[in-house]
Amino acid sequence: MEDENNTFDPDLIHAIFKLVWTRRALERERNDVADALDCEVGAGTSKKNRQTSANGKAIKLSSELLRIFITEAVQRAATIAEAEGASKIEATHLERILPQLLLDF
Amino acid sequence: MEKATDMEMEREEVEEEETESVSDVLRDRFRLSTISIAEAEAKRNGMEISEPIVACISDLAFKYAAEQLAKDLELFAQHASRKIVKMEDVILSAHRNEHLATSLRSLCDDLKAKEPQSERKRKKTPRKENKATTSVVHILDN
Repeated sequence: MEDENNTFDPDLIHAIFKLVWTRRALERERNDVADALDCEVGAGTSKKNRQTSANGKAIKLSSELLRIFITEAVQRAATIAEAEGASKIEATHLERILPQLLLDF
Repeated sequence: MEKATDMEMEREEVEEEETESVSDVLRDRFRLSTISIAEAEAKRNGMEISEPIVACISDLAFKYAAEQLAKDLELFAQHASRKIVKMEDVILSAHRNEHLATSLRSLCDDLKAKEPQSERKRKKTPRKENKATTSVVHILDN
Protein backbone atom coordinates (compact mmCIF):
# COMPACT_ATOMS: atom_id res chain seq x y z
CA MET A 1 0.00 0.00 0.00
CA GLU A 2 2.63 2.48 -1.01
CA ASP A 3 1.11 5.65 -2.22
CA GLU A 4 4.23 7.52 -3.08
CA ASN A 5 7.34 6.30 -4.65
CA ASN A 6 9.68 6.21 -1.72
CA THR A 7 12.63 8.21 -2.82
CA PHE A 8 14.74 11.22 -2.09
CA ASP A 9 13.42 14.62 -2.92
CA PRO A 10 15.48 15.78 -5.93
CA ASP A 11 15.59 19.29 -4.47
CA LEU A 12 17.22 17.96 -1.33
CA ILE A 13 19.89 16.16 -3.32
CA HIS A 14 20.42 19.24 -5.46
CA ALA A 15 20.81 21.35 -2.32
CA ILE A 16 23.44 19.00 -0.96
CA PHE A 17 25.41 19.11 -4.19
CA LYS A 18 25.17 22.88 -4.39
CA LEU A 19 26.48 23.19 -0.86
CA VAL A 20 29.51 21.09 -1.69
CA TRP A 21 30.15 22.77 -5.03
CA THR A 22 29.85 26.26 -3.53
CA ARG A 23 32.37 25.37 -0.89
CA ARG A 24 34.75 24.02 -3.50
CA ALA A 25 34.30 27.07 -5.72
CA LEU A 26 35.09 29.32 -2.77
CA GLU A 27 38.26 27.40 -2.10
CA ARG A 28 39.29 27.71 -5.70
CA GLU A 29 38.61 31.42 -5.52
CA ARG A 30 40.80 31.78 -2.48
CA ASN A 31 43.58 29.91 -4.20
CA ASP A 32 43.15 32.08 -7.26
CA VAL A 33 43.42 35.24 -5.20
CA ALA A 34 46.56 33.94 -3.59
CA ASP A 35 48.00 33.19 -7.00
CA ALA A 36 46.89 36.53 -8.39
CA LEU A 37 48.80 38.38 -5.73
CA ASP A 38 51.92 36.66 -6.94
CA CYS A 39 51.52 37.24 -10.61
CA GLU A 40 49.95 40.09 -12.49
CA VAL A 41 46.75 38.41 -13.57
CA GLY A 42 43.57 39.84 -12.04
CA ALA A 43 41.55 37.64 -9.73
CA GLY A 44 38.10 36.62 -10.88
CA THR A 45 39.13 36.38 -14.48
CA SER A 46 39.89 32.73 -13.96
CA LYS A 47 37.63 30.67 -16.19
CA LYS A 48 37.66 27.78 -13.80
CA ASN A 49 35.69 29.53 -11.18
CA ARG A 50 32.13 29.46 -12.37
CA GLN A 51 30.38 27.08 -10.05
CA THR A 52 29.43 23.60 -11.15
CA SER A 53 25.72 22.93 -11.50
CA ALA A 54 23.66 19.93 -12.51
CA ASN A 55 20.86 19.37 -14.94
CA GLY A 56 17.51 18.08 -13.69
CA LYS A 57 17.86 14.60 -15.11
CA ALA A 58 21.26 14.17 -13.52
CA ILE A 59 19.75 15.09 -10.16
CA LYS A 60 16.95 12.58 -10.65
CA LEU A 61 19.49 9.93 -11.48
CA SER A 62 21.55 10.87 -8.43
CA SER A 63 18.49 10.63 -6.21
CA GLU A 64 17.90 7.16 -7.57
CA LEU A 65 21.53 6.25 -6.99
CA LEU A 66 21.28 7.30 -3.36
CA ARG A 67 17.99 5.48 -2.94
CA ILE A 68 19.67 2.34 -4.23
CA PHE A 69 22.50 2.86 -1.74
CA ILE A 70 19.97 2.71 1.07
CA THR A 71 18.02 -0.24 -0.31
CA GLU A 72 21.20 -2.21 -1.03
CA ALA A 73 22.44 -1.62 2.50
CA VAL A 74 19.14 -2.74 3.99
CA GLN A 75 18.67 -5.65 1.62
CA ARG A 76 22.15 -7.04 2.13
CA ALA A 77 21.90 -6.69 5.90
CA ALA A 78 18.45 -8.29 5.82
CA THR A 79 19.89 -11.31 4.01
CA ILE A 80 22.44 -11.80 6.78
CA ALA A 81 19.81 -11.30 9.48
CA GLU A 82 17.52 -13.79 7.84
CA ALA A 83 20.27 -16.36 7.51
CA GLU A 84 20.74 -16.09 11.24
CA GLY A 85 17.07 -16.42 11.98
CA ALA A 86 16.74 -12.89 13.34
CA SER A 87 13.66 -10.79 12.66
CA LYS A 88 15.26 -7.43 13.18
CA ILE A 89 18.24 -5.93 11.41
CA GLU A 90 20.89 -4.94 13.91
CA ALA A 91 24.41 -3.53 14.00
CA THR A 92 26.06 -6.89 13.69
CA HIS A 93 24.27 -7.52 10.40
CA LEU A 94 25.10 -4.11 8.97
CA GLU A 95 28.70 -4.44 10.04
CA ARG A 96 29.23 -7.52 7.94
CA ILE A 97 27.94 -6.11 4.69
CA LEU A 98 29.57 -2.73 5.07
CA PRO A 99 32.96 -3.41 3.46
CA GLN A 100 31.52 -4.77 0.23
CA LEU A 101 28.87 -2.05 0.16
CA LEU A 102 31.48 0.67 0.37
CA LEU A 103 33.54 -1.02 -2.32
CA ASP A 104 30.53 -1.19 -4.61
CA PHE A 105 29.70 2.50 -4.46
CA MET B 1 48.59 43.01 4.58
CA GLU B 2 47.94 41.66 8.07
CA LYS B 3 44.55 43.30 8.37
CA ALA B 4 43.47 41.72 5.13
CA THR B 5 44.39 38.26 6.36
CA ASP B 6 42.58 38.73 9.66
CA MET B 7 39.41 39.87 7.97
CA GLU B 8 39.71 37.01 5.58
CA MET B 9 40.03 34.56 8.40
CA GLU B 10 36.96 35.94 10.10
CA ARG B 11 35.01 35.77 6.90
CA GLU B 12 36.14 32.20 6.41
CA GLU B 13 34.98 31.30 9.89
CA VAL B 14 31.57 32.84 9.42
CA GLU B 15 31.21 31.09 6.09
CA GLU B 16 32.15 27.82 7.67
CA GLU B 17 29.62 28.24 10.46
CA GLU B 18 26.89 29.05 7.98
CA THR B 19 27.80 26.11 5.84
CA GLU B 20 27.68 23.88 8.92
CA SER B 21 24.18 24.89 9.91
CA VAL B 22 22.88 24.53 6.35
CA SER B 23 24.60 21.19 6.22
CA ASP B 24 22.90 20.12 9.46
CA VAL B 25 19.47 21.01 8.13
CA LEU B 26 20.14 19.04 4.96
CA ARG B 27 21.45 16.11 6.93
CA ASP B 28 18.27 16.04 9.01
CA ARG B 29 16.02 16.14 5.96
CA PHE B 30 18.15 13.44 4.41
CA ARG B 31 17.74 11.30 7.49
CA LEU B 32 13.97 11.59 7.38
CA SER B 33 13.89 10.33 3.81
CA THR B 34 16.32 7.56 4.63
CA ILE B 35 14.12 6.37 7.47
CA SER B 36 11.17 6.00 5.19
CA ILE B 37 13.13 4.30 2.40
CA ALA B 38 14.93 1.96 4.80
CA GLU B 39 11.83 0.93 6.69
CA ALA B 40 9.95 0.22 3.49
CA GLU B 41 12.81 -1.90 2.20
CA ALA B 42 13.12 -3.79 5.47
CA LYS B 43 9.43 -4.56 5.36
CA ARG B 44 9.80 -5.77 1.78
CA ASN B 45 12.33 -8.24 3.08
CA GLY B 46 10.09 -9.31 5.91
CA MET B 47 12.27 -7.68 8.55
CA GLU B 48 12.31 -4.87 11.03
CA ILE B 49 15.23 -2.55 11.28
CA SER B 50 16.55 -0.95 14.43
CA GLU B 51 16.55 2.84 14.65
CA PRO B 52 20.22 3.45 15.35
CA ILE B 53 21.04 1.31 12.34
CA VAL B 54 18.88 3.45 10.10
CA ALA B 55 20.62 6.54 11.47
CA CYS B 56 23.93 4.92 10.74
CA ILE B 57 22.95 4.09 7.16
CA SER B 58 21.68 7.62 6.73
CA ASP B 59 24.93 9.18 7.90
CA LEU B 60 26.88 6.85 5.63
CA ALA B 61 24.76 7.72 2.63
CA PHE B 62 24.91 11.43 3.37
CA LYS B 63 28.65 11.25 3.67
CA TYR B 64 28.82 9.32 0.40
CA ALA B 65 26.62 11.89 -1.32
CA ALA B 66 28.49 14.91 -0.03
CA GLU B 67 32.04 13.70 0.00
CA GLN B 68 32.24 11.20 -2.78
CA LEU B 69 29.39 11.60 -5.21
CA ALA B 70 29.33 15.39 -5.38
CA LYS B 71 33.07 15.51 -5.79
CA ASP B 72 33.18 12.79 -8.44
CA LEU B 73 30.39 14.41 -10.44
CA GLU B 74 32.14 17.74 -10.43
CA LEU B 75 35.42 16.16 -11.46
CA PHE B 76 33.85 14.15 -14.28
CA ALA B 77 32.07 17.20 -15.63
CA GLN B 78 35.23 19.25 -15.42
CA HIS B 79 37.12 16.47 -17.15
CA ALA B 80 34.68 16.72 -20.02
CA SER B 81 35.20 20.50 -20.02
CA ARG B 82 31.69 21.16 -18.79
CA LYS B 83 30.28 23.23 -15.97
CA ILE B 84 27.04 21.27 -15.92
CA VAL B 85 26.82 17.79 -14.53
CA LYS B 86 24.86 15.48 -16.82
CA MET B 87 23.38 12.00 -16.59
CA GLU B 88 26.43 10.43 -18.15
CA ASP B 89 28.51 11.72 -15.23
CA VAL B 90 26.20 10.03 -12.76
CA ILE B 91 26.35 6.76 -14.64
CA LEU B 92 30.13 7.00 -14.80
CA SER B 93 30.30 7.46 -11.03
CA ALA B 94 28.59 4.07 -10.64
CA HIS B 95 31.15 2.28 -12.77
CA ARG B 96 32.36 0.06 -9.95
CA ASN B 97 29.06 -1.76 -9.70
CA GLU B 98 27.88 -3.17 -13.01
CA HIS B 99 24.42 -4.00 -11.71
CA LEU B 100 23.99 -0.49 -10.45
CA ALA B 101 25.31 1.05 -13.65
CA THR B 102 22.84 -0.99 -15.65
CA SER B 103 19.86 0.07 -13.52
CA LEU B 104 20.90 3.67 -13.88
CA ARG B 105 21.32 3.33 -17.61
CA SER B 106 17.77 2.08 -18.03
CA LEU B 107 16.43 4.87 -15.87
CA CYS B 108 18.47 7.24 -17.98
CA ASP B 109 16.87 5.87 -21.15
CA ASP B 110 13.44 6.22 -19.59
CA LEU B 111 14.10 9.81 -18.66
CA LYS B 112 15.35 10.57 -22.15
CA ALA B 113 12.29 8.96 -23.67
CA LYS B 114 10.06 11.35 -21.76
CA GLU B 115 11.74 14.32 -23.33
CA PRO B 116 9.62 15.63 -26.21
CA GLN B 117 12.49 17.13 -28.15
CA SER B 118 14.62 14.05 -28.44
CA GLU B 119 16.05 14.23 -31.91
CA ARG B 120 18.14 11.13 -31.96
CA LYS B 121 16.90 7.80 -33.16
CA ARG B 122 17.07 5.35 -30.31
CA LYS B 123 16.45 1.67 -30.13
CA LYS B 124 13.11 1.03 -28.54
CA THR B 125 13.71 -0.10 -24.99
CA PRO B 126 10.92 -1.90 -23.14
CA ARG B 127 9.71 -0.01 -20.09
CA LYS B 128 10.91 -2.41 -17.44
CA GLU B 129 12.23 -0.80 -14.31
CA ASN B 130 15.09 -2.86 -13.07
CA LYS B 131 15.89 -5.24 -15.88
CA ALA B 132 19.01 -4.66 -17.89
CA THR B 133 17.83 -4.23 -21.41
CA THR B 134 21.09 -3.60 -23.13
CA SER B 135 24.23 -5.49 -22.46
CA VAL B 136 26.12 -3.44 -24.97
CA VAL B 137 28.01 -0.53 -23.55
CA HIS B 138 26.97 2.49 -25.49
CA ILE B 139 28.46 5.91 -25.28
CA LEU B 140 26.02 8.56 -24.25
CA ASP B 141 26.88 11.64 -26.14
CA ASN B 142 24.13 13.74 -24.63
